[in-house]
Amino acid sequence: MSDQSDKTNISRRNALKLGLAAGVGLTVFGMNARIVMAEEGQVLKVANPAFDQDWSPLRGGGRTFRWNSIWWASPMYFDSEGNIKPYVFTSWESADNTVWTFKLDPKAVFSDGSKITSADVKGSWEVSSMPNTKNQRADQVLSRVKGYAEIAAGSGTELTGVATPDEGTVVVTLGAADPIFFMRLANHIAPITKASQSRGSDGEEIIDWYKPDSKPVFSGPFKLTSIDIDAGKLSFEPNENFFGPKPKLARIDITSIEDNVTATSLIKSGEFNAHTELVTSTIIQDLGPEFSAGPLIPTSQHFWFNISRAPMDDPKVRQALIMAVDRDGLFKASYPDGPHKKADQILNSVPGAENSGFEPYPYDPAAAKKLLAESTYGGPERLPKILFVGISGPAIQAAAQFIAEQWRQNLGITAVDMKPQQDSYAGPDQNSVQIFRDDVGTRVPDAVSYLAGSIASTSSNAQNKLGGYKNDKVDSALAEATTKAADDPQRIALAQEAQKAFREDWAFIPWYSQAMSRWATKEVKGLEKNLDWQVVEPWNISIG
Amino acid sequence: MLRYVLTRFAIWIPSVLVVMLAVYALAFYGAGDPIKLIFLRAPGDVAYNPQRIEAIRESAGLNKPFIVQFGLYIWNLLHGQFGNSLTSGRSVWAMVSAAAPVSFQLALCSIILTAVVAIPLGMIAALNQNSRIDYAILGSALFLWAIPAYVAGPMLMVGLIVLLPGASVPYGWGGIFDVRILLPLLVLSFQPIALIVRQTRAAVIEVLSEDFVRTARAKGVPEIIVALRHILRPVLTPVVTQLGLIMITIVNGAIFVELVFGLPGLGRLTVQALINSDYPVILAITLIGSFLVMVSNLLVDVLYPLLDPRANDSRRSR
Repeated sequence: MSDQSDKTNISRRNALKLGLAAGVGLTVFGMNARIVMAEEGQVLKVANPAFDQDWSPLRGGGRTFRWNSIWWASPMYFDSEGNIKPYVFTSWESADNTVWTFKLDPKAVFSDGSKITSADVKGSWEVSSMPNTKNQRADQVLSRVKGYAEIAAGSGTELTGVATPDEGTVVVTLGAADPIFFMRLANHIAPITKASQSRGSDGEEIIDWYKPDSKPVFSGPFKLTSIDIDAGKLSFEPNENFFGPKPKLARIDITSIEDNVTATSLIKSGEFNAHTELVTSTIIQDLGPEFSAGPLIPTSQHFWFNISRAPMDDPKVRQALIMAVDRDGLFKASYPDGPHKKADQILNSVPGAENSGFEPYPYDPAAAKKLLAESTYGGPERLPKILFVGISGPAIQAAAQFIAEQWRQNLGITAVDMKPQQDSYAGPDQNSVQIFRDDVGTRVPDAVSYLAGSIASTSSNAQNKLGGYKNDKVDSALAEATTKAADDPQRIALAQEAQKAFREDWAFIPWYSQAMSRWATKEVKGLEKNLDWQVVEPWNISIG
Repeated sequence: MLRYVLTRFAIWIPSVLVVMLAVYALAFYGAGDPIKLIFLRAPGDVAYNPQRIEAIRESAGLNKPFIVQFGLYIWNLLHGQFGNSLTSGRSVWAMVSAAAPVSFQLALCSIILTAVVAIPLGMIAALNQNSRIDYAILGSALFLWAIPAYVAGPMLMVGLIVLLPGASVPYGWGGIFDVRILLPLLVLSFQPIALIVRQTRAAVIEVLSEDFVRTARAKGVPEIIVALRHILRPVLTPVVTQLGLIMITIVNGAIFVELVFGLPGLGRLTVQALINSDYPVILAITLIGSFLVMVSNLLVDVLYPLLDPRANDSRRSR
């Protein structure tokens, strides 16, 4: 054989050698990539499930909000057990629950070493309240403060109820007494920023003020060192002037990875070790139980009935539909391996949730059938089509399908339809939607706040999902409860009464109480989160 | 030629206006209020304040009648202003100009890869008509055609991790010379390659029966010269036309490919804008998409006479 043919014809042996070499090369390349990670120190690599274009800490909600605690300090914070801890504010007191006095930590400084002052607190709250800031939850924190209503409606720029007698004191005057106002502040909904940087002379938020190009200062344990929004990448490094404990991590990198399969592969391969929110039906099998383990939080998912629409306007139909569903089976159909827990009532993980006196709805197909026959519809054949909305994602679909199947088997109902859209469902049947799958919850460990946001007639849930639900017993019990101190047993008892009164209206199918997942591999320590969806103590995060 | 190009642009403008009016109307009257969506995106006790939402809507000019809003949008567009994103407040132009180069480079690479791989394969299949080689090439093309990008992407990625433990997941964008572009490029090119293979094969089989091919072979011209000089050139005209048309397929396929492989292009931006009902962004992408399709078709028309002089003659004679 000539030299020429030797060069052009590759033998099988040589081909195998080449393949082996390529395999070894790629493996070494991959290992090298991890060695680089190790040499850089402890780097938390986070996958973010969307190509988010706005990372302003003042939005008060959304996925980006979940990482606020790594770069911003809050007035106080709740730990994973629900205990309140001082942070920028070291003390809080009120004689009448209307005027509250807060003292700032004299050691609290921004990342440039300048003091965090009461003026910064006031300015941060004001800019969070401005409509154009689009803060999603400023209402929950500040709506009772005098002057807030005017700012929120676009007719004011100042919170008249916030006074700053000196740089270390904030005095807040509320429109009405609120015994748990201090608890409402213990989150990152309106984080404390350097007001002169985040707020312009017109009172509005300065666009892109938080990006490194604007040379911002930060109040949290880490500072944003680079951001490439068009590529979906952010990096945070320790704030050397942080007034709390020294952070353990060398860096936090957040990268947008929209596809769940890709994100799971990256986490499995060790290239990433945390996620903002990874919800897949095989999460436990893919990444182990530790990945999504976490304490139950005061948030729960249910199927809410719009009681103003046929056939839900008939209490016997509602009762029949609820009693025909085996809720143990419903939970198993959707989250067989956890991390959530089956719910029997609305309240969970707040004082008063245990032994609340709420008797779980029974599973009684025979009684359900009888009730349907006794209803004004007389049976399944005369019921209008039942339409669910908010049926998005595999677990939710599994649950809704289970309910529909139970109704078919136990009641003979076959006309059931499901749509993913929720609030803005605009199909031809939009006025016929009777069931909304949605969550309700609270960010303070308080039963009254939980129920006020879900079953009080003033709540968005009651007005929209429950079709203008109003029960005077519920409203009066909750109204009275709000006047009681946070630790007053009467406050809890009244909330329990309200929930019991709601039960008798048969207006929802309880589904599950939500666990606050870590969404991090077992090697990541200290990533416990609180009711505010925040990492409780970001300075304590470490790997390995 | 200049007149021809200008005429094409003149026809394109009203077509795009109609498309944009339709897109704007769908966004305006369809499901999804961008301002409400901002407040409903996160779980938890979201209780938005209707007064606050109205103030935001007024500030963004979203409380004006449909036709006024659309007219304002077009007026601003004529002044080179694409407006700001409703959800992030960022300049739409900045968002689109950051994403478009990624998609364009990817599409261009895909077109080149398709041409380089599919045309020779189509020719080989045709020259070996009804042989095992032909069946293998055609069968593979059919297989590639049947796999959608959203299936092929994750499958290849998971396959890579399983077959090469320790290899990095090819995620992110590092330019067209980065090794991470290989998988997305392959996935994006699967269907175009399948299409062009079949198109080339059919065209070559047709040309093979032409007199000039028989004459060339009878004269003893080597087979490789016959293939390249006598068969390839007439075959290229319909194939290049098809390559121009598959630009649409590539742009559509890029939505999934960009999502799966984390490429910050127009596809990824489109999905985000659709989820948020962010219609200034959706409209800008629609405009760019239609411009891209128009330019690719124009390029094909311009290339025609270069590949087939008869096309030029016929135009002149008209």
